[in-house]
Amino acid sequence: MKLSKFSSFEWKKFSRSSYFEKGVVVKILLILGALYFIGLAAFLGFAIIFGLEKAIPDQDPFVTLNNFLIYYVLADLGFRYFLQQLPVMNIKPFMIIPVKRSKVINYLLLKTSLSFFNILPILFFLPVTGVLIYKSYDVLGSIIWFISFLSISFCINYANFLINKTQVFFYAIISVLAVLVGLEYFSVYPVSDLFGDLFYGFYTDKYWAIIPIGLVYVLFKANYNYILKHFYLDGAIVEKKESVKQYDLSFLNRFGKLSTFLKNDVRMILRNARPKQVVMMSFLFLFYGLFFYTQDIYQDMPAFLAFASMFITGGFLISFGQLVPSWDSEYYKLMMSQNISYRQYLESKWLLMVVACVISFILSTPYIYFGWKIYLMIAAGASFNIGLNSFITLYGGALNRVPIELNQKAKAFSNTNGFNPTQLLISLPKILGPMIIFYIPYKLLNFNAGLIALAASGVLGLIFKQKFLSIVENVYQKGKYKTLAAFNEKQ
Amino acid sequence: MDNQYTIQTQNLSKSYKGVEVLNIEELNIPKGQSFGLVGNNGAGKTTYFSLLLDLIQPTTGQIINNDIVVSESEDWKPFTSAFIDESFLIGYLTAEEYFYFIADLRKVTKTEVDELLATFEDFFHDEILNKKKYLRDLSKGNQKKVGIVASFIGNPEVIILDEPFANLDPTTQIRLKKIIKELASAKHTTVLISSHDLLHVTDVCERIVVLDKGVIVKDTLTNETTLKELEAYFGREDEENIELPAKDHSEESAQ
Repeated sequence: MKLSKFSSFEWKKFSRSSYFEKGVVVKILLILGALYFIGLAAFLGFAIIFGLEKAIPDQDPFVTLNNFLIYYVLADLGFRYFLQQLPVMNIKPFMIIPVKRSKVINYLLLKTSLSFFNILPILFFLPVTGVLIYKSYDVLGSIIWFISFLSISFCINYANFLINKTQVFFYAIISVLAVLVGLEYFSVYPVSDLFGDLFYGFYTDKYWAIIPIGLVYVLFKANYNYILKHFYLDGAIVEKKESVKQYDLSFLNRFGKLSTFLKNDVRMILRNARPKQVVMMSFLFLFYGLFFYTQDIYQDMPAFLAFASMFITGGFLISFGQLVPSWDSEYYKLMMSQNISYRQYLESKWLLMVVACVISFILSTPYIYFGWKIYLMIAAGASFNIGLNSFITLYGGALNRVPIELNQKAKAFSNTNGFNPTQLLISLPKILGPMIIFYIPYKLLNFNAGLIALAASGVLGLIFKQKFLSIVENVYQKGKYKTLAAFNEKQ
Repeated sequence: MDNQYTIQTQNLSKSYKGVEVLNIEELNIPKGQSFGLVGNNGAGKTTYFSLLLDLIQPTTGQIINNDIVVSESEDWKPFTSAFIDESFLIGYLTAEEYFYFIADLRKVTKTEVDELLATFEDFFHDEILNKKKYLRDLSKGNQKKVGIVASFIGNPEVIILDEPFANLDPTTQIRLKKIIKELASAKHTTVLISSHDLLHVTDVCERIVVLDKGVIVKDTLTNETTLKELEAYFGREDEENIELPAKDHSEESAQ
């Protein structure tokens, strides 16, 4: 069993999936997007030293660059956490045939080296290094500096998987980051200078490069050990006994015809690992505002504040709604052969999203601390969420035919961030919508006009609720066979 | 002609990327008939049932269920029910919750469901109800029991069961046969089943259709000799392979 054999399996899995065959337009957009980023990275790499030289003439531009690179590292970490796909491989067939586990795991981990997120930094740092040498910086130092940053990129790569898979590591990283940001923010200790010195040290005192290179090794091993420990199928080795959680849901009967679906949806959320995760995540969205409201730069950019305000109340709405009807993918055939009305089915999901939005809004009351202006903005954002965003999200969900394994939590071999280009495209109006609706009246008239416009957009959405539901319903009806076929395909 | 047949199949074909997997020119099933579909793997049994439930789109032709073209209207759903595979179960519900959910969808009251379930006490063999277990934690056989009984909720006129005998223990198989026979004898319900088990299917079905590579090769009303005929039909290739002395095949190949 050679590594090339694994690669050919992976390639077959990729090229033979129905998703690959269907999403041609999306694929082209994705490739264009990738080319754009590649071009941008390379251009930045060439230009940045010259640019910094012009901007801050009395300082060595290379020193300036190193001082800023900590922000790049943090951004990279953040982006990867939300966007980078984790290595997925169907291990079951490999468990009982004579292939060394170490081989499978090494392959899995090495595969991630080819990720777009690892190639991008090379495209950026390579031209930077070229420019450095061209500008007669020390050749050996520049190359070691380049290798160090490559290592940092791989560190982030492997750290990201641990963050995604183990709660302990996630909280550890978050705590460390919080402490560092706190030290910097409250001017206790200039952390960014420290990192600036360290990064510059890769160039001056070459042996410092051992730190990132060693860290790559440590993180690789940590991943290796983690996966080795989890090289079992859940439940296949140890049979888990699950006690039934009974809830009295009769209070939902007041919703009449909707109650059938509502009860089912509530049970679905409470009894399955994946939707529970979504609920947890949406709780974190509540704190989104802390990033924006505490930064002075955003105070003059109310459009960004409008965007943040939308996110505070929209966590559940977005993360749950974008996977409707995927939540029911496991038994979609049943749903499609039963006498159900799409309208009631959708309305039940919509109601859940709205209720979650209202709860989030109530929980966001402490934001009054940042002033009534902010709080009113959150209220306007909630209105936008309930009235417009809910329908946009449901519409996107209908196009997003990804089967979900309800009771699979983030495991070593499952894909937690089911991120795909369709989701990205459909999320554009969600993100840009509130910014534009707020910004135009704000620019033309004043702040309050922006608020009123944002709030009114939600009310307008509610007025046309039936119309919007009909549109989504139409997508369901038109895409019925496609959806059934997609959900039928096991991941 | 209108009410004579419950299911009418007209020029039906299904192709995947140019490869035809099913081609049925005509197949009419009268009301109340218990109908068995037999064939080797890949013969097109599940494809036919999926087309009947409008889960996949026919390449040509149509199926009419009680005067309703299934791919054009959804009005066949209230009187049709099916259990094809585990994707007809909702894993995170208990058996009771699942039955009541289906009942809600089919506009059947809780009391009616309870009455229906009481009649299946034997069939459940005390392994289904009040077990406080999610359906996903039940064994394959018990899951099947739940799915089959759920398809009886709401007195459907057409019941479609794909491989109902597979995975069931012998006792349950015999009980299931009794249940299907009772349903068929009432002459109200049309039961369509597919099976690999020739003995069971000849036992419960009044009529048997054999599919081979998507084409009907045999359509017969069940009698004492049907089982022998079917065994001979499915065994013919083996006999050819072991090169028995030349034999007259005309009887088997006659459709």
